[in-house]
Amino acid sequence: MAATPNIYGILAEFETPADAMHAAEKVRDTGFRKWDVFTPYPVHGMDKAMGLKNSKVGWFSFIGGVTGYTSGMVMIWWMNAVDYPIPIGGKPMFSPFGAFPPCYELTILLGAFGALFGMLFMNRLPRLHHPLLKHRRFALATHDRYFIVIETTDPKYSENETRKLLESVGSKRIELVEE
Amino acid sequence: MSSPTNSNTLPPMDLSRWRSVPTLLMLIGGALAAFGAFHDYRQFSYSWLLAFMFFLSLGLGGLILVILHHLFDAAWSVATRRICENLACLLPVMAFMFIPIALNVLFAHHDNIIYAWVQKLRDGEMDHALASKQPLFTIKGFFIVSIICFVVWWVLSNRLRYWSLKQDQTGSVECTRMMRRYAAVGVFLFALTLTFGAIMWMKSLEHEWFSTMYGVYYFAGSVWITIYTVYTLTLILKRQGPLREVATEKTFYYIGSLMFAFTVFYAYITFFQYFIIWNANVPEETFWFIQREAGNWFYVSLVIIFGHFFLPFLMLLRIDVKHKAWIMVALGVWAWLMHFVDMSFNIMPVLHTKGYHLDWMDLACAAFIGGVLSKVFLKNFNAHAPFPQQDPRIAEAMDVYVPADEYVQAATAKGLKPKSGGSH
Repeated sequence: MAATPNIYGILAEFETPADAMHAAEKVRDTGFRKWDVFTPYPVHGMDKAMGLKNSKVGWFSFIGGVTGYTSGMVMIWWMNAVDYPIPIGGKPMFSPFGAFPPCYELTILLGAFGALFGMLFMNRLPRLHHPLLKHRRFALATHDRYFIVIETTDPKYSENETRKLLESVGSKRIELVEE
Repeated sequence: MSSPTNSNTLPPMDLSRWRSVPTLLMLIGGALAAFGAFHDYRQFSYSWLLAFMFFLSLGLGGLILVILHHLFDAAWSVATRRICENLACLLPVMAFMFIPIALNVLFAHHDNIIYAWVQKLRDGEMDHALASKQPLFTIKGFFIVSIICFVVWWVLSNRLRYWSLKQDQTGSVECTRMMRRYAAVGVFLFALTLTFGAIMWMKSLEHEWFSTMYGVYYFAGSVWITIYTVYTLTLILKRQGPLREVATEKTFYYIGSLMFAFTVFYAYITFFQYFIIWNANVPEETFWFIQREAGNWFYVSLVIIFGHFFLPFLMLLRIDVKHKAWIMVALGVWAWLMHFVDMSFNIMPVLHTKGYHLDWMDLACAAFIGGVLSKVFLKNFNAHAPFPQQDPRIAEAMDVYVPADEYVQAATAKGLKPKSGGSH
């Protein structure tokens, strides 16, 4: 007999977004931490039903933006007023007004980088494979089914209890997902 | 979670003791302004112009928000549409408030005249700037522009409200279509009239100056203060009851986002107006800003940079702040203050060349106009339903799902024939 494969988590299938949303509320209230909901499209109110806090990605873009702005100002000041001053039309060697447009662009650039890379970092992306992708029915998450997945690494996870919970919230089809 | 933006259980506040405030403002402000007109007519004229331009912003902002609602077939602004319509209906009142300015242009002499170019015209001292702005900068041109502005604003605000009230009664598709037609034509007329108004009444204080961004600059500031005001009004009306069902948490989030957008837009316009002039460095343009660096005007400009932009910008960055009632109301009060400073910065350096000085007549004129407008607003608001009762997107705005066939049944029950290709 082959060794039993590791179990990644438990997958519960729902047929309507409302069912998935109510189930998510129950799972949230039970106190699970490592779990997620998969839907074919964004479902309004799901964040709240899952108890998700505001994303931290904003901080990455904020810090990126501030870095872009200050580094732009410092760079232009250093180049034009310190390292290689060129007098033009009697204007000051450095003025925050003249330097503003490139700094503004740098703010946006690094802010966007912050958002993109912050998002990848928070999502632990890129990764080459995910156990769920191997699961046959999970492909329906891009079609017409709604899934809740609770990972085995969650401290509250127990195969029987969690299965009962997901049954009680109305899932007709509950399966284990192999690692 | 029971923040005031999503709670329907908080009891209404007792606002009865504020009821007499508009009347008091009107009477005391009016008496003081009238006294001021005899005491120091020159100061009075500029103070009046300041108060006029300040409150004109609210009417124009209300009008464009209504127009945008119809143009974009928006759902989020259903709850605030009637408030904006009532704000827009203050514009005809502003025509009466224009009378002191009109009288000044017609009859005042020499130092008392608000617009220096009017005196120059009378004396026949045509300078180059004035000559190149003919025939706009003539007494006739001034009044033609002013009359066109007020007629356009009166027609637009009046018609948009007429069809809106009719929609409350009948709910017919025709009303929606008519409002969209007025909005589609109105948005162009609005842009033109606002630009001409800002040029003739405010920018022409220094007729030598030119800035192609001046109209949009006034527009940005106007919508900025209006949207802050609309947030506060919506919040109060939700708490007091009238908008309880229709102004949801989402409504406040969207208004808050628009507040943020216009904070940035105003800063963008203001900065680039300065930047382009700074960069070109042509004396015909730069003098306007040099004047505004004299004395403590320099610090006023810093107050605008940090108070009009940075403070609200940093405050509104976070999503959750858009639901924190006290921060948002405080920002609304702050916005009024900042717009007042902004308008002073545009108008007052002509009078107080050495530095900013808050005159008691500034406050008296603002109190009078504000008092009158509040009374008109409250009267209009009380006369009609607090939000559009039969807007095609009312269910969506209220977060209620109504299946399509129920619409048809309801319409058939009312004896209406649902036509194909309806309002949306």
